[in-house]
Amino acid sequence: MKTREPLSVDPLTRATLLRRAGAGALGVSAASLLAACGSSGSSGSSGGSTSEAIKGQAILANYPGWMGKHNLADFAKKYPGASIKMISNATSSTAEVVLQFKSKQYDFLLSDTSDAGQASAADLITELDWSKVPNVKNVSEKFRKAYPWGLPTDYGKVGIAYRPDLVGGATITSWHDLWELIPKYSGQTVFIDLERDCMGSTCKYLGFSSNTTSPDDLKKVQDAIVGVKPHLKAFLNTDVGAGLVNGSTAMAMDWDYDVALLQQKNDKIKWVLPDEGVHAYLEGFTAVKDTSKIAVIQAFLNFLAEPPQYADFVNTTGTAYLMPPSTPLIHKSISQNPILVPTDAVLAKTEFDKYLGADGATLWSNTWTAIKAA
Amino acid sequence: MDRDQGGVAIERVAAPPPAAPRRRVDSGRLARVALLIPTLLITTICFVVPLGLIALYSFGSVNQVDFNVFFGWTTGNYRAFTSSLYVHTLARSLVLSVSTTLACAVIGFTFAYFISRQSPKAQRLLLVAVIVPFWTSFIVRTYSWVDLLQNLGPVDRLARALGLDGHIDILYTPWSIGIGILYSYLPLMILPIYVSLERIDPALFDAAEDLGATPWRQFRRVVLPMAVPGLIAGIIIVGVPALGEYVIPEILGGGKTLMAGNILADQFLQTGNYPFGSALAVSIMVVLMVLLFTLRRAQPAADAQ
Repeated sequence: MKTREPLSVDPLTRATLLRRAGAGALGVSAASLLAACGSSGSSGSSGGSTSEAIKGQAILANYPGWMGKHNLADFAKKYPGASIKMISNATSSTAEVVLQFKSKQYDFLLSDTSDAGQASAADLITELDWSKVPNVKNVSEKFRKAYPWGLPTDYGKVGIAYRPDLVGGATITSWHDLWELIPKYSGQTVFIDLERDCMGSTCKYLGFSSNTTSPDDLKKVQDAIVGVKPHLKAFLNTDVGAGLVNGSTAMAMDWDYDVALLQQKNDKIKWVLPDEGVHAYLEGFTAVKDTSKIAVIQAFLNFLAEPPQYADFVNTTGTAYLMPPSTPLIHKSISQNPILVPTDAVLAKTEFDKYLGADGATLWSNTWTAIKAA
Repeated sequence: MDRDQGGVAIERVAAPPPAAPRRRVDSGRLARVALLIPTLLITTICFVVPLGLIALYSFGSVNQVDFNVFFGWTTGNYRAFTSSLYVHTLARSLVLSVSTTLACAVIGFTFAYFISRQSPKAQRLLLVAVIVPFWTSFIVRTYSWVDLLQNLGPVDRLARALGLDGHIDILYTPWSIGIGILYSYLPLMILPIYVSLERIDPALFDAAEDLGATPWRQFRRVVLPMAVPGLIAGIIIVGVPALGEYVIPEILGGGKTLMAGNILADQFLQTGNYPFGSALAVSIMVVLMVLLFTLRRAQPAADAQ
């Protein structure tokens, strides 16, 4: 999970980012949020659950602050006797997330496609009764198919951010262009320090699936990264593109939401959705096996998928969104930002993380270690 | 024979019973043993059991789907560690930790010697200055070096103001890791050396001078030998954690310089391969123990001097 989870290595940093992404940088006022939450979206549905049947407190493992400002309070108001207790548990490790699924300390978790896929393979999740979550229809089909274990909430693409003024006015349109320019502007490029994102993007550069488990493909990926490693400034998992703002970095492999924020600080920063395609993470909330709070969880997920509530979630977190019916309620700095809008053209170029199987995951892990040690 | 000595025996039995002192001895011994129990318990629970578990895990294997650990008593984890990838990483860690420890020793000795030669009041002030950085979070102190060392940062600007062409390009290199380790561990080197130097009787310098020793000879024959115990203690205190350092390479290395501590942490925090991580931990411990025993053997000789 948490391809961009690195930000939560330091929860304060992440919290700051989220605050900035929400009410600060994106300029969402509490009043407008309240107004949005107060309106009833035409796509909303109660799911046939009665508030009488939905009681108790469900515990959610989540990023710090990774929730709409009013989501939890509004849910508790709508379902008296039911509540969600959110525990910040930030990790970029699939192993840790799977162990959290096993721990029985939580009722549901934020997990990405790799984590949830592995938890499913280990028989650690509870399948939702989708008749109790009718608002899932608000989620675009591609995301629902890619994340069948729970309610998908957000995704992020890994593309290229760069400063044309620092690379001699060159235009970058592809991963190929980036690899060509890295040696020329040695020491000015940052890669993401997460194996799925960094190696996945390199897979795209080489024309492979970003979920390949072919040893030959991964050897070529290793060679491609090690080949430019001497010219890289760093592999970073937090503040990846921060150097683009002051010019200490010229090019970066970076997440879409990060670039959207950076562009507000320096409009010289350009975002590229590379021609070869992009690798992306996709996250959602998934219920733990044998949780006794499944009714509360399903009611909450259905509630969260109501357009006003989901808009609150997006406006607070600043994430790329995946429920188009929420668009009118989402702040224009997000809904009209081409970096973050899930158009068909963008989604056609996007390949989401998949669980690679035990052997595949081990092969990726070993390859990544070899890259880092080289 | 018994009969011949019976009277004596009876006399001995009839004499003030030795049982009383024996009871006192026994109760004293029991009290001492009882006093040891808390320490033994803490040592066992906090050190022996965890180390035993790590050793136990190092011979196990893990299911990479659900992360259940099985104990099939395989040595595969240790054999995997012998691959060139890990050996090179351990060698890199050794070189980096040894070089930064030596740099710490040189700078730490100089500073400790300087402190020890000051007036008592100045010594107290300087010692507080050495300790003050510990009042700030280790992570915060390490992150501050990112701002200091980055291109266009204060150090870079200073270098350019002094006439350096281009940028310093230090951040995210082994040099920045070395600087980070040096900065973080220097106080741990200064303090034990200072304790050794501070105990030197000033009369020894007078005596050496009376005997015609030059300042350099005084330093070489008086100061240095008497500082060796503190120096060895500092080297141990700095060198051991530096070898397994994880945070500093993570923050200042830019992910380009992998050290043993990073690989070890990844096994526990990222890939969930506890058995292999345990084997790495045991292997690093063995390397450290060899180094420590070597230093321990050097210590008595130094103490004798």
